[in-house]
Amino acid sequence: MPHEVIMPALGMAQDSGQLLAWHKKPGEAVAAGDVLFEVETDKAAMEVEAQKAGYLTDVSAEAGSDVPVGQVIAMISETPEGSGEPGNGPTPEKTTDTAEPSPSGAEAGEDELPDGHQVIMPTLGMAQDTGLLVAWCKQPGDAVAADDILFEVETDKSTVEVNAGRDGFVAALLAEAGEDVPVGQAIAVISAQKPDKPVSRKAAGAPATTAGETAPELQEKAEPVNTPAPSPEKRLAAKTAPGVAGRVLASPKARRLAQEQGLDLQRLADAGHPQPFHVKDLETLKTLRAETPAASATAQRFEVRAEVKGTAFTEFATWARESGGQGDEAALLAGFAAASCGNLPSKVRVETMRQPKTYSASSLWLGQVAPADDEPEADLVVRDLRASRISSVQLEADRCPVISILRNGEGFTLVLEWPGGRLTTPQAIDLLSNFAGRMEQPLRHLL
Amino acid sequence: MTREITLSRAVNEAIAEEMRRDPSIILLGEDVAEAGTPFKVLSGLVEEFGTDRIIDTPISEPGFMGIAVGAAMTGLRPIVDLMFGDFLYLVMDQLCNQAAKTHYMSGGKLNVPLVLRTNMGATRRSAAQHSQSLQALVAHIPGLKVAMPSSAYEAKGLMKTAIRDNNPVVIFEDKLMYNDKAPVPEEEYLIPFGQAHIKREGRDVTLVATSSMVQVAEAAADTLAKEGISAEIIDPRTIVPLDEETILRSVRKTSRAIVIDEGHQSYGVTAEIAARISEKAFYHLDAPVIRMGAMDVPVPFSPALEDITVPNAAGVADNARKICRGELIHAA
Repeated sequence: MPHEVIMPALGMAQDSGQLLAWHKKPGEAVAAGDVLFEVETDKAAMEVEAQKAGYLTDVSAEAGSDVPVGQVIAMISETPEGSGEPGNGPTPEKTTDTAEPSPSGAEAGEDELPDGHQVIMPTLGMAQDTGLLVAWCKQPGDAVAADDILFEVETDKSTVEVNAGRDGFVAALLAEAGEDVPVGQAIAVISAQKPDKPVSRKAAGAPATTAGETAPELQEKAEPVNTPAPSPEKRLAAKTAPGVAGRVLASPKARRLAQEQGLDLQRLADAGHPQPFHVKDLETLKTLRAETPAASATAQRFEVRAEVKGTAFTEFATWARESGGQGDEAALLAGFAAASCGNLPSKVRVETMRQPKTYSASSLWLGQVAPADDEPEADLVVRDLRASRISSVQLEADRCPVISILRNGEGFTLVLEWPGGRLTTPQAIDLLSNFAGRMEQPLRHLL
Repeated sequence: MTREITLSRAVNEAIAEEMRRDPSIILLGEDVAEAGTPFKVLSGLVEEFGTDRIIDTPISEPGFMGIAVGAAMTGLRPIVDLMFGDFLYLVMDQLCNQAAKTHYMSGGKLNVPLVLRTNMGATRRSAAQHSQSLQALVAHIPGLKVAMPSSAYEAKGLMKTAIRDNNPVVIFEDKLMYNDKAPVPEEEYLIPFGQAHIKREGRDVTLVATSSMVQVAEAAADTLAKEGISAEIIDPRTIVPLDEETILRSVRKTSRAIVIDEGHQSYGVTAEIAARISEKAFYHLDAPVIRMGAMDVPVPFSPALEDITVPNAAGVADNARKICRGELIHAA
């Protein structure tokens, strides 16, 4: 099977690389490790080695051309003739070989991985050895589009969402959330066909399944990497800001105060704020902190509360059960909550005292609130504690916003808690106001 | 009671008062008795104290400096008048090898209670050999104290303290300030060494200025005040010993500092003070510490050129503005 040669991502903010020269001619035999071509980035010219032995074929980029990162520029084939199809867009079947067994061949004999495109732990920082896999955003067997967010990684600087990079199906997840995975190690496989038996396992102890140490240079890091809220302006600035090499210009006092207050000046640099930074720039950094979710912000937890008077909801639930054909009170709560979010359709998990149930609400019509228990990831959690004697909550931060419903006399107290970054303050206030309004006057929802 | 007197008069008063108080004080130098020095600072002293105590010497700086060091070691308290600071080069051995080290090398048995009063300051059209500000040269030598009065008030108070000191002191008077008047008390007062004077309080930037550069700093501060930048002015008064604490306290408050001295900028007084600030108030600095000294060139005779070689108020204000705005200064 031919092996794709792609334009590698060699820098942090690199969109394309200039192909300086080919060191092999089309049809020429290459050995793994041979210098195949030279690329110039904004920082340096680098030689890129062949990952596999074979014949260089299907060369589709000429020396001197500027090639987008990730684009296939040639093939390494088993015959000098090649595949006959010059490196157009990669198809999932053909990508199987991008991951060579590590030189030690440690993978051989281990459980077989499904065929497909291997997704690796990307290098997001200059001196990054590992990335903490925060969460998978897809489950084994899920269909994914190239632009879908596949997983979240936390580095020492920030949490970053990483796209799948290929259309297909999640055939294997090779690391679990919470694991620290070496950069370059394969952590997922995306297959073209829906897998029969998707694989899911921990990375710890698993053999490195990518091309070993050279992986960071030559892997499919081409996938666009999305920081949570990147404006085009910010991306541009990150490229032009001084100190690309990781050095931030700041006064000693600004550094000291930032350290004392737990502020990261790098974020100001990433936002393109002009350097050098002084004490007054810390004010800007603080605003930035409130706007953009970051690793530190996700650990924070915010809450708003609302009081609901009267028994209207209880009466409405009774009416719905007896005359409206909706006997599931949790579904009503899910419908109200989803509608309060304002961005239907959404998945709401309702946790009663007994067991959690996830609902999918695709419209305001309560009858269409359907159980969706195969969806473990919810957009919103409604924690129904009316049957308990609990009168106040401040619970462990969930990954998504949580509305707790507590009994308060005849009415309820509603507490909305959310982890930093998941909601803005106006969104949170809107959400809880809408939900409280529906709980107090359920007919509002129907109108 | 205070009155306004010139710096020249203040120095004269200080020497006269001390000579009346202590008969072991003598004064020697070129043209000090009959002429009262080219700047007329010492006029009238010879009439009161006679030629035994106010002594005109031959034109030989190494000679009379050596005489003074010997006299100081053996019981007198000489004041040496060195007509121009530029002549310091002529007395280096007597001053730096003998006067500065005798107390140390004699195991504390000998003292050299000597005052070398001389001057500094450019823009007097005196050319390269009569315009230098060489305070850094002597401040570098352990064993010498260095005073730099910034007005008539400081000139009198520091001179009296210098005369009473049991160790060699070099006083630099700015030769352009002899006719500048300032309020000076009628009553006796002394200004202790190593006590800086906060000439003006401010919040945004500290201007550490010596001698006539205090006036430059004040003019700059006036300009800056109109723009809403509040400058604090610190006059160290003696650069050896240096009142580090007052300077550092000020910089910790303002987070910014400009050090101004009329000596050549490289390896100078500004460099020393700036380095101490950078070392000891580093984590309080919100901008690089700026040195402002004379250009590293011989002082030109051409008035047009001479004037631009020394720090001026516009330049100080300009630098202060830049660091207060957070502009990139001197950054690689």
